[in-house]
Amino acid sequence: MVQFHEHIITDLLEDSNGGLVVTSAGLGLHKLISSLFLLHHHSNGCLLILSATPPQRASILQNYENALRSQISGEFPNLPSEITSDLPANQRLSLYNSGGILFITSRILIVDLLTHRIPTSAVAGLVILNAHSLSDTSTEAFIVRILRLTNLSLYVRAFSDRPHSMVSGFAKAERTLKCLFLRKLHLWPRFQVYVSQDLERDPPEVVDIRVPMSTYMIGIQKAVIEVMDACLKEMRKTNKVDVEDLTVENGLFKSFDEIVRRQLDPIWHTLGKRTKQLVSDLKTLRKLLDYLVRYDAVTYLKYLDSVRASESFRSVWIFAESSYKIFEYAKKRVYHFGRSDSGKVRLSKTASTKKRKLNDNKKDEDQSTSAESRVVLEEVLEEPPKWKVLLDVLREIQEEREKQASSGEEKDHLGDGDDNGIVLVACKDEYSCMQLEDCTTNGSQKVMREEWEKYLLSKVQLQALPKRNAKKAKEPKGIGVLDGVVAAPGKKAEVSSTSKQEHDALLAAASEISKRINKDIVGEDDNQKLVDDGGSVKGKGKGKKKKGSAGEKANNDVAPEDKAMEDGCLNEVFLRKHDQGPDAESSRETKKLPPVVFYALESYKKILDILKPSTIIAYHPDIAFVREVEIYKAENPSRMVKVYFLFYEDSTEMQKFEASVRRENGAFESLIRQKSLMMIPVDQDGRCLGLDSSNEPQSIISQNLITRKAGGRREAEREMQVIVDMREFMSTLPNVLHRKGMRIIPVTLEVGDYILSPLICVERKSIQDLFRSFASGRLYHQVEMMSRYYRIPVLLIEFSQDKSFSFQSASDIGDDVTPNNIISKLSLLVLHFPRLRIIWSRSLHATAEIFASLKSNQDEPDEVKAIRVGVPSEEGIVENDVRAENYNTSAVEMLRRLPGVTDSNYRAIMDGCKSLAELAILPVERLAELMGGQKAAKMLREFLDAKYPTLL
Amino acid sequence: SAPSSSTNRNAILVSNRQKGNPLLKHIRNVRWAFADIVCDYLLGPNTCALYLSLRYHLLHPDYLYFRIRELQKNFRLRIVLCHVDVEDVVKPLLEVTRTSLLHDCTLLCGWSLEECGRYLETVKVYENKPADLIQGQMDGDYLSRLNHALTAIRHVNKTDVVTLGSTFGSLSHVMDASMEDLARCPGIGERKVKRLYDAFHEPFKREV
Repeated sequence: MVQFHEHIITDLLEDSNGGLVVTSAGLGLHKLISSLFLLHHHSNGCLLILSATPPQRASILQNYENALRSQISGEFPNLPSEITSDLPANQRLSLYNSGGILFITSRILIVDLLTHRIPTSAVAGLVILNAHSLSDTSTEAFIVRILRLTNLSLYVRAFSDRPHSMVSGFAKAERTLKCLFLRKLHLWPRFQVYVSQDLERDPPEVVDIRVPMSTYMIGIQKAVIEVMDACLKEMRKTNKVDVEDLTVENGLFKSFDEIVRRQLDPIWHTLGKRTKQLVSDLKTLRKLLDYLVRYDAVTYLKYLDSVRASESFRSVWIFAESSYKIFEYAKKRVYHFGRSDSGKVRLSKTASTKKRKLNDNKKDEDQSTSAESRVVLEEVLEEPPKWKVLLDVLREIQEEREKQASSGEEKDHLGDGDDNGIVLVACKDEYSCMQLEDCTTNGSQKVMREEWEKYLLSKVQLQALPKRNAKKAKEPKGIGVLDGVVAAPGKKAEVSSTSKQEHDALLAAASEISKRINKDIVGEDDNQKLVDDGGSVKGKGKGKKKKGSAGEKANNDVAPEDKAMEDGCLNEVFLRKHDQGPDAESSRETKKLPPVVFYALESYKKILDILKPSTIIAYHPDIAFVREVEIYKAENPSRMVKVYFLFYEDSTEMQKFEASVRRENGAFESLIRQKSLMMIPVDQDGRCLGLDSSNEPQSIISQNLITRKAGGRREAEREMQVIVDMREFMSTLPNVLHRKGMRIIPVTLEVGDYILSPLICVERKSIQDLFRSFASGRLYHQVEMMSRYYRIPVLLIEFSQDKSFSFQSASDIGDDVTPNNIISKLSLLVLHFPRLRIIWSRSLHATAEIFASLKSNQDEPDEVKAIRVGVPSEEGIVENDVRAENYNTSAVEMLRRLPGVTDSNYRAIMDGCKSLAELAILPVERLAELMGGQKAAKMLREFLDAKYPTLL
Repeated sequence: SAPSSSTNRNAILVSNRQKGNPLLKHIRNVRWAFADIVCDYLLGPNTCALYLSLRYHLLHPDYLYFRIRELQKNFRLRIVLCHVDVEDVVKPLLEVTRTSLLHDCTLLCGWSLEECGRYLETVKVYENKPADLIQGQMDGDYLSRLNHALTAIRHVNKTDVVTLGSTFGSLSHVMDASMEDLARCPGIGERKVKRLYDAFHEPFKREV
């Protein structure tokens, strides 16, 4: 905890109803939350933590444990537990009543609240993370509303560390506050005076290293930006978007997609294919820029190959002039291809060039394919410039340390004494971590070579298929185009023959390597397996895998210690590690490298507090991480912390970093403005009245009731009931229905999503779902089931409020009846199910109105009957079953999409085999048993084992 | 009461009431002819359609009900074809929805006359068409099937499918891959790795 953390907590506690806290990224929100736990006492009731992602949960827990340990008090309160649907209802109830701290998903909580399994009085408060993703229709808002109705002493504390998401949309902060029934908005930007005081009192020593990019990298970056710019210009031409936000700078951010989507969403269905394609192209291009500075040359080329193979021919950007350069340069960073007799073999200027001539090995092959010339494939294998710099920095650190050690004053100087000399290298992703680690142990050239060999191998293995030739013969043109050489038509023949030769050359190189490796592998197989197994036990995803052979020896002495270090998160382990320190040091001294730990920012582990590094290298700069380092320093003022930043000079990486700072500040400025203008209605006790208070127009039905009933006389109010499938609690309709005053009964339904009356069963489809489930055939099946069991089966087509209310614009309809058009599909559905009724709803709220209207002269639905409908066997009924939690939904969905798997046999497959991984190795006989047929089983087996066709 | 002479079997019969409806201009793929019928459009021996513009409904809220009542019980599929030609749709559409639903009519909405016309054409053209178009048969080629299967996992995109396919060689190898191998694929970040791995290795049914 830093001082400003205490300020935040004091401010937050002032209002007993709670508040919404928005901080800058990386300001230690998890520490804050875990220290709130310390204030919780079980006699008040339980504290529920909502919408925490797994890494957030882990980090909060870890902080909490640390905080507890630092407390001297003898009483050891219960650690937070997690409520999952695996827990039977009675155990959940006892947890609720225990007054502990509970992590829970909002879906379980809302179901338990609606079924009265959790008494509202048992809840002392809610902590809601990621408040930026809330909206007035989200389940969290629903929960708060239900709790607030009866539990007046409830407090709600919501947190977000993504200010820029808090300003998207109209008055978002105010709406979020209202939907949580809160009044207080607390803003804690990095530039807030307490924060900056605390963090800048004794800032860490910073070394900024600008690494120049290689010529080709600059070339690629320039080309990508050019293409991006061209795409943006195209986009502006469509006149569909506000051009102001569309800048290349914004284009670097993920949220750019959000900006574009937010503008285009209302008219998304009416957009032409071209505009949609542009949006997805921009996304691809953003990734290309990002990966350029993250991946090495070979991996980048591999990624480009994948992109190229998957990108449809409609892609606009692939045809842009500059994209040719992207592919060309990316290739030149890896290898150079030329014909030796034409004398065009140019040597690359890159320092680390390695050359190997391959003509001899593949001469025979050459002659068979094209007799015209000898071909040379030169490996260039350009290393990422940062690698060298990183190694230099590490060596420099070591030298400095040695100097200090020799001058003898190191220990006194460092004060704390528990300095372990660890150097932390923070990268964006796991993959970079593995690679960099490999670099430090095996040398960068070796790593590049391995990547290159893997690249070639992946080609040769895939090439060894009979299918390939047939496929190839079909698409030489495609290949020419995809290579970016959309040259004049006359040259085409020549061009494609060149690319064929190039292709063959790559193949030859690959097969040579594979031969060599095959020899190696025979001897090494067992050995390697052992190492692999050991490596995969690792704690924080540090790659210990060795592909080659030479690296092993060098690595062996390092590995065990590192592992010990990773596996434990307890301090004792580190102390022991420290005892070993000198040992390790000496073994490393020969390599002149200090102990290094690689950390992937993506893994969201709070590694700083565990490792207590004295030197930090930000390999991929990230603003949240910078703040974490600042806080780490502020918390450990006595420790010397030195931070190295590795930026690519003049790169988008740098631009992006600077822009992210600007963007965050901008977001806060806007929030501060909003805060000063907010209007939050309160009741006489000073409680926020929430959204409903803003006099919502009375529903049409009740208006009608008043005019129809004589003198406005009302019948005794009958509460409407709707039976809702558990899975529907992912959506926001139950919330809105509840707000309309309906009683929501959550159960697991086999048929339909909503049961309005004994006769009416509704299947709800958002537009996206509608298209998808038409394609998969699922809708047909669902409607068939509904028609079988209910008199009035209803398909609800629900448009989204902020999207256009139509399928397509008149100009997109075309001249003919085409099978793929949604009109055709709907017509066919209607023809086959004449009893099916369709509701076209403008929005969630309109749906609620329609439901109420349809129910007004119908009987209430019967819960017990609804559950039984369509359930295959009696014992199959599991009540209190939150289905989606009990099923691995992606796996089931994927299973159902495999060839041979049908609606009638997928359950049997799931009964007979545990997971997809298991399915992958089942023999065809067993599959036939499960699937009830040889043909289907064979189809599935063949699909699973089918060789993936080649890329080249 | 519907005349069904052999010459008219393949044509849409249009009620004389519809004379002057600009919608008729947009029925081009099917022949049509005026006839003396109860419904607005006779699309098959047991299929009929009523046309309703929302703007008209606002002026004559009872119109639809009386038209539906006239149909009596003579048709298996009764379509209310609603032309959404007003901006503020929620209230009128609610009324139309309620009336058609409670009186056994299927509501279809079109936002333009072209679209409305196309519905009439399509229902006529597909009169005897089997349902396999919407029963989920897909193109058989390997890549699109693989794409379809793997993209069942959230956030997995086409590029990832290519990356996975080309890295591991076959779907069974993809499903069997270790987390580490998945992490080595360019473009597949931490979260996607976890998502993929979980989808493959977590049991279909979690233990309760």
